[in-house]
Amino acid sequence: MKAAGLLTLSLLLAGAAPAQQVKWNFDKLAARASDTVDVSLDGSLLRLATKFLSDDDKDEAQVKKLVGGLKGVYVRSFEFKKPGEYSEADLDSFRAPLRPPDWQRIVGAHSNEDGETVEVYIKSEGKGIGGLAIIASEPKELTLVNIVGAIDLDSLSELGGHFGIPEVDVEKEKKK
Amino acid sequence: MASFEDELRSALRRREPPQDFTERVLARVAAAPVRSATRMSQPWVRWVAAIAAALLLAVGSLEYRHYQGERAKSQILLAVRIAGGKLNKAQKKVQMVTHRSNS
Repeated sequence: MKAAGLLTLSLLLAGAAPAQQVKWNFDKLAARASDTVDVSLDGSLLRLATKFLSDDDKDEAQVKKLVGGLKGVYVRSFEFKKPGEYSEADLDSFRAPLRPPDWQRIVGAHSNEDGETVEVYIKSEGKGIGGLAIIASEPKELTLVNIVGAIDLDSLSELGGHFGIPEVDVEKEKKK
Repeated sequence: MASFEDELRSALRRREPPQDFTERVLARVAAAPVRSATRMSQPWVRWVAAIAAALLLAVGSLEYRHYQGERAKSQILLAVRIAGGKLNKAQKKVQMVTHRSNS
């Protein structure tokens, strides 16, 4: 009875716990990578960043709106000199914390052409999204993204067409 | 050996200073110029130094905050570019598959 009570309490606490950064260990990959991009912005740095984003610039205004309610943004991107520097076991170790019921994989796309795989995971929180994780692997590149907080996927996707990233619209491309 | 001891004893023997020794020392002390108080000992100089140090500290911390903000801004723009790009690629792949299965 006591154990059941403790279990219920711990489940309640787990449910009430604030969204947290995904615990990934990058030590092995960082040692093998030729280039690394590391972005780690917690809540306070995000708030500071938004103060420096312009309202007059369309792109920056959109980013400001997007990151306004976020609690953390973490990006690690590794570039390798040759393929095979990371294994499927490495990828599995990154997938491990993204398990149901907390996390759901919403997209798993693989291209045989360029050998690229993109996996998108979301963390449900109440009725909305409490977090996002992306694992994008290419033969010589591996990128991991973790966004903590209520992220608007449409806005983020819209931003794919900004900052020099070509906007993707298959229908438009076909018509051309 | 005895002569060496004698020499040593003679060298270490107590000698009385000349009679005018004390007067000469006192005269020299009196003749030496009196040093004026240094500028730092002036209260207003200390206040100015303290205010300058506080101003420097405030400007430094503001500059650092500005640097941190600009750095955070460029980092968030980079993060959004990477995340948006990857999400966009995933969307493209899904759209292609959907398009193929529909046609």
